[in-house]
Amino acid sequence: MSTTMTQLSPQVILAPIAGRFDAHQVPKVQKEIDAALANGANTVIMDLSEVNFVDSSALAVMVRTMKHCRERNGELILCGVRQPVRIIFDLTRMDKAFRIFDDLVAARASVGV
Amino acid sequence: MHVAIVTTYPPGKGTLNEYAFHFVRALRAKEEISRITLLVDALPDGAPYPAPAQAAGQAELCITPCWQFNDPRNAWRIVQAVRQAQPDVVLFNIQFASFGDKKTSVALGLMAPWLVRLAGFPSMVLLHNIMETVDLRNAGYAGNAAIEWVMRTAGAITTRMLLNADLVALTIPKYVEILRAKYRAKNVLLAPHGSFEDNPPMPTFELPPGPRQIMAFGKFGTYKRIEIMVEALRILEARGYTNLEVVIAGSDSPNAKGYLDEMRARYADVPNLRFTGYVAEEDVPRIFQSATVTVFPYTSTTGSSGVLHQAGSYGCAVALPNIGDFAEVITEEGYVGEFFEPNDPETLADAIAALLDNDERRREMGLRNYRASCGLPIADVLDWYLLHFSALIEKHHRQPTRRARNAEAAQPVTELATPATKP
Repeated sequence: MSTTMTQLSPQVILAPIAGRFDAHQVPKVQKEIDAALANGANTVIMDLSEVNFVDSSALAVMVRTMKHCRERNGELILCGVRQPVRIIFDLTRMDKAFRIFDDLVAARASVGV
Repeated sequence: MHVAIVTTYPPGKGTLNEYAFHFVRALRAKEEISRITLLVDALPDGAPYPAPAQAAGQAELCITPCWQFNDPRNAWRIVQAVRQAQPDVVLFNIQFASFGDKKTSVALGLMAPWLVRLAGFPSMVLLHNIMETVDLRNAGYAGNAAIEWVMRTAGAITTRMLLNADLVALTIPKYVEILRAKYRAKNVLLAPHGSFEDNPPMPTFELPPGPRQIMAFGKFGTYKRIEIMVEALRILEARGYTNLEVVIAGSDSPNAKGYLDEMRARYADVPNLRFTGYVAEEDVPRIFQSATVTVFPYTSTTGSSGVLHQAGSYGCAVALPNIGDFAEVITEEGYVGEFFEPNDPETLADAIAALLDNDERRREMGLRNYRASCGLPIADVLDWYLLHFSALIEKHHRQPTRRARNAEAAQPVTELATPATKP
């Protein structure tokens, strides 16, 4: 799994994640997102098009990130959700809580970057 | 947000009281929560609940005893208490036998989430077990096949009633799949159990001096039975193991009153069998940390195990029955254990011996279980609940309910009749 945060605008960061998004990778992702939010960002686009598995700790990071973004009047946006991940979202009903777009183009367009 | 939780709670000794304690402790720290009202079962002899301590930054906590184990009026009493408290949302922390061990009381009690919803309050159930996966005969709820059939039919009806809550959360993915498939339920979801401690300190894995303790923790008598542990102790001693002590930490299940007294009398000739009685919250760490092996002497399971999560947070090596729920928890949450066949003391003796013989294995298992318990603290799981609560509250605000309509009707006529503009 890998992430490299990209600043799309002063408020929006892109977090592309790949591989297994699980308890082993969660601390690194959380740390990078927290740092970006501390630097003034308020919206995170999480590109999951290369993610084939998420566990409950990864879901917890998404929920926490969404909470922190909303506290800053921003939003967590997910895109490129593959079927195995979509099943987990459905199981937890997180698909009802997250803003999810088909791909990165649509996600970026939704926040105008 | 004002949340009411229908639950057992310490010092009440009903099942799930421990889970409720940790759930509420973490919930009070959430900034979204301004007030929590616990709608709990009455203590014996009407004893009062201790006044909750209030620390800065914590949500206000109010404890209201309003129901009683086996009281057929529980659902009605709970609805009355909810009307009195006027919360934004009501959560039920329950399992099938929470409201009693008599079929009528159980069925009537489990109508409460539906009735609360009908009264106009958003209701969510955290259901720790489902009838479909409980081995009723082994769990002590059904004596024969006919009773089992009747109970399963009643269970299916009761499950349909529970599914009339706005949302039903389950702690195991398989449970969600079963309810979605069998009942075509669209309002069920997975909410992991979570670990009790937010950041449990790294255990030392050192054992106290004295006999090596083989410990079981919980409420005994239905599907948690200690006979197999005593039999395994005898087998181990026959194999030459010495300096062992079996520790039974906990009390009778509310569904099996008198069980531990019966065991105490039956095994009076076993000097190295110790009963601790009810374990107060502050004594829990010492009990787990003193155990060489924590045993789960279950003949069946009725859901995800809070005791397993606790054992993990204290770095315990565990001996587990080879039953589906445990295997699932272990696979999905990273726990490991030595397995034995339920009702087979030989295999339990083997599992215990594997840990007595290999201290490195015991420590390694304890470390893995500790790490698993750190995976998803209950505080993180609560963020999921808060999302669902917010969505429910918003939905109820969008759809005027009977409560809202009643409240509106109670408004002064002048307010209701004020027109936007005059012609």
